[in-house]
Amino acid sequence: MKAEGQFYFSKTHEWISKETGDTFYLGISDFAQSELGDIVYIVLPEAGRVYKKGEKIGEIESVKSVSEIYAPVTLKVISVNTNLNEKSELINTHPYNSGYIARVSVLNLSDISGLMDKNTYESFVTS
Amino acid sequence: MSGFPGISGLFLNEGLLIRQSSKGVYGIGIPDCGLKDSELKKTPADYINKKFVRKNAPGLPEVSEPTVVRHFTRLSSWNMCIDSAFYPLGSCTMKYNPKVNELVGSFGNIRDLHPLTPVRFVQPALKIIYDFNLILCCLTGLNEFSFSPQAGAAGEFTGLKVIKRYFDIKGEKRDIILIPDSAHGTNPASSALAGFTPLEIKTGANGYIEAKEVEKYISKNVAAVMITNPNTLGIFEKDIKKISEIMHKNGSLVYMDGANFNAFIGNVRVSEMGIDLIQLNLHKTFSTPHGGGGPGSGAVGVKGFLSDYLPVPYVSFNNGNYDLSEDKQYTIGRIAPFLCNFGVIIKAYAYILSLGNDNISSVSEIAILNANYIKKKLGEILCGADPFKDKLCMHECVFTDKAIEEEGISTLELAKLLIDYGFHPPTVYFPKNIHGAIMIEPTETESVKTLDEFLNAIYKIMFKTKKSAALKSPRKTKVRRVNEVLANKYPVFKY
Amino acid sequence: MPNFRYFPNSETDIKRLYAILNIRDKKELFKKIIGDIPLIDANNLKVLSRGMDEVSLCRYFSDISSNLPDKNKFSIFAGGGIYNHFVPAAVDSLISRPEFYTPYTPYQPEVSQGTLFALFEFQSMVAEILGMDVVNASMYDGAESLAEAILMSLRLYLNANPDSRSPWQEQQVKNNCPGGEINPHSSHLILASAGVNPHYLSVVRTFVNDIKANVETVKLNEKTGRTNLNDLKLKLKNGVSAVVIQQPNYYGVIEDIDELEPVIHGFNPKPFFIVSSTEPFSFGVINPPGYYNADIFAGEGNSFGNHMNFGGPLLGIFGAKSVYVRQMPGRIVGKTKDAKNKDAYTFILATREQHIRRGAATSNICTNNSLNAVRAAIYLSLCSKRGFKELSFLNLKLAHILHEKLLKTGLFEERFSGDFFNEFLLRIKNEKITVLRFIDVMADRGILAGIRVAENEILISTTENNNIDNIERYVENAKDILGSNLI
Repeated sequence: MKAEGQFYFSKTHEWISKETGDTFYLGISDFAQSELGDIVYIVLPEAGRVYKKGEKIGEIESVKSVSEIYAPVTLKVISVNTNLNEKSELINTHPYNSGYIARVSVLNLSDISGLMDKNTYESFVTS
Repeated sequence: MSGFPGISGLFLNEGLLIRQSSKGVYGIGIPDCGLKDSELKKTPADYINKKFVRKNAPGLPEVSEPTVVRHFTRLSSWNMCIDSAFYPLGSCTMKYNPKVNELVGSFGNIRDLHPLTPVRFVQPALKIIYDFNLILCCLTGLNEFSFSPQAGAAGEFTGLKVIKRYFDIKGEKRDIILIPDSAHGTNPASSALAGFTPLEIKTGANGYIEAKEVEKYISKNVAAVMITNPNTLGIFEKDIKKISEIMHKNGSLVYMDGANFNAFIGNVRVSEMGIDLIQLNLHKTFSTPHGGGGPGSGAVGVKGFLSDYLPVPYVSFNNGNYDLSEDKQYTIGRIAPFLCNFGVIIKAYAYILSLGNDNISSVSEIAILNANYIKKKLGEILCGADPFKDKLCMHECVFTDKAIEEEGISTLELAKLLIDYGFHPPTVYFPKNIHGAIMIEPTETESVKTLDEFLNAIYKIMFKTKKSAALKSPRKTKVRRVNEVLANKYPVFKY
Repeated sequence: MPNFRYFPNSETDIKRLYAILNIRDKKELFKKIIGDIPLIDANNLKVLSRGMDEVSLCRYFSDISSNLPDKNKFSIFAGGGIYNHFVPAAVDSLISRPEFYTPYTPYQPEVSQGTLFALFEFQSMVAEILGMDVVNASMYDGAESLAEAILMSLRLYLNANPDSRSPWQEQQVKNNCPGGEINPHSSHLILASAGVNPHYLSVVRTFVNDIKANVETVKLNEKTGRTNLNDLKLKLKNGVSAVVIQQPNYYGVIEDIDELEPVIHGFNPKPFFIVSSTEPFSFGVINPPGYYNADIFAGEGNSFGNHMNFGGPLLGIFGAKSVYVRQMPGRIVGKTKDAKNKDAYTFILATREQHIRRGAATSNICTNNSLNAVRAAIYLSLCSKRGFKELSFLNLKLAHILHEKLLKTGLFEERFSGDFFNEFLLRIKNEKITVLRFIDVMADRGILAGIRVAENEILISTTENNNIDNIERYVENAKDILGSNLI
């Protein structure tokens, strides 16, 4: 994964980071993975499908919990990280690169202004 | 750890039976049933079309009776159980399972009774169900019980179906069941299964649902409130009468999850709280063994106006005869293929007969005293961890992980450490609204001496345990900490 | 406060507890907790007598037992979902170990390896018998198991056929995908063979009628008693999420599934194929569901080492193809390692269940019939490969011998021509005597002759508990009753 730009975070702990143009990587934050504990299973979003901001795009399971992944912005899924089907632990070990969840195109770039930058997000989760 | 039940012992190892097979060996007597030689020689294809005949026999183990007996005896020794240890699982009511109940339940004519035997021949069995109904009605103040539901969740489902049908017949469309956030997961799951939408209501700071909280959600869409009382925090739902009034005024019903009925039995009738329906978990309050996960029985009781909605069949009594009847006008139908989990119910019935009217009220009284003793004493050890410090609990009490966290021990580690002291852990991480919850239910069949040992173990864990030991616990069990991540990531369902 | 044999605290202990809590007595204790809700007046518990000592209790239940049919003298030829198989002493002995029957559900795997290991062996052996990939750690009974199988097929069908969703449904699936909450506002159709146990179908209807799903039955072939292929073809249509066939069916007839399965799975959109059974003992002789591509198996396992218990507790068996495991109900035991890398067992995929997923769980079931499953594990181990096959065949043989002998009397005629396992349906020719009357008189003579299916049709089954003498006695008495017009 080659994320170029900075990371933008949602209140529901997803991040997106620009690859090129309107193409972004999407994943969950380090804080989110540490709260979940060892991830054992993931339901990935559907490639090619459009999800509205706030809509559920997938699920992450640890041994004793299920958490939903939401679209941080309105997006269309370009491809999903199928490595996670076999190696869901990548989300725990590398949440910001090889543990990404999908590549997406952001359909409305102005949505991004509603997200938090890294510092804001960090103070959000510690508060 | 001297002075505690947990000591190191000899565990006998044992592998899968399939790995102990010797070709052709088996462990069961196969009768010849008096068949003639000519009949003994035939093959399945002599009787049925050979296209139906299975070519390869199922690959079961090939072992003798002594091998099987040793195998399962060894396996059994790897279990902790209520007969061997204090088992303070909150909201599970792990009380002593009297031996005589097992004995009477195993009487051959009772245990080997075919459910479709003509009723004329099973009058004494039907009488048990009929009489037990009267007893449960007397203990709850409700008017009729159905014994169809096989366990607690099936009881909830049955009750909710009754509610659904009641409103259907009235021509009212009500979709919502109000459920407290501290409820057992079966409550919302059963509601969804019965076609309702469960709506979560918040427990107040004092550990119970406040009437004013319920009022917020009141609408003509609310079919019922489903409330566990006492709740899973061990706290009595103080506003229950007010809540019932609010619900009834709105035309809604009040369902009580009776999983914690051990707090009331013999002393309080739920009818006094405005309850319309309840399920009683006979495998909890009524002492039948939990069997390592079942079987149970979840008898459902209702007020008279809901009697006609209960499942069929039921036991009726006319002109001196008991019968299996199905004539309930609005019945929700069948919940189980036959009458009930008779083999469980007979043990519960024996339990109630043993207690009788002179002992039954002591059950909840002692259960409450024991729980409050733990609450008070453990509150002194786990400083600041009792969320309801100045209140009395009922049959169980709950603590947060605040105090143990300060000593560097998590709730999970406390649970595992207790095992090495010879105690089954309490219920942990439930209910969800208590951080790192530790939920303890001692029941009336434990002595103060046992409770003191348990408290002493927690004291030692709090102040004498190193973090490194906590991580490695339990150390004295047959297996060490089980790798649940591996188990779930690469699931293996069979050998 | 009286002393009672199950209460370890003495009167002094109780007094001490009250003193520590600074409470005077029971009245004050309850008053402080429940306020002005009245306590039960002891005089108002008259429906209960005084507590019974153990001697009286044993006498009480002995009386009950001796007024029931004597199990050693009563020959049982009734099946209909419960079969009178022999339970070896070793099963009752092992299951009486408190280590098996007095623990709770194994939520703490380190102190529950015995139950977990036994359940793992249960799952493995039953999967082998059924030919299915995955079997769970038990359901309540065959009927509930079947109802849950149908709910599971509805979830799978909705996930597999997004086009069949209504817009509202689409929204639901989006919100809850793919955990599988079933939309309560759509209509689904389930086809069930008329050969499925009628009590099972009643339970299924109770489960599905509030989620707007309909159960339609597929007729039987009037001659063979097998599911009517043409009627199945006629009724298969868009929106049929599952087809249920019972093997052998309620009338004992062995279904020709090789003929049915291609039709079911060949339909587009593809329905899920559910096989049920009340007598999986048959799979020692006949082909099991996994061999003909069943998607889900849901049936009754009581025949494996369990007593009839007057109809409960029983043993629900649930199996599926492994691709569907995440939509399965109930607990599943998996094999793993402990911290020292030794084999260990624990519950797996618990995120499907109610204690985690709550309202969106695959089932509401919590307590299941674990002890009955452990019984089955012990029983099947004792049977072993050879015993299971031979006992299964013995059942088939005895039924065929009785069948032949009864037909030979000329008093009965065969109702269906299809092959059967250990149960069959006959018509009583003598029109003056109803089946109910026949069963009644036979019962007076110590024979439970069967189950009434229609006015003059009786369903008869045999097990290894019925030997040739019992069979002869059945035939002689039937001749006496039906042949002489004596009633």
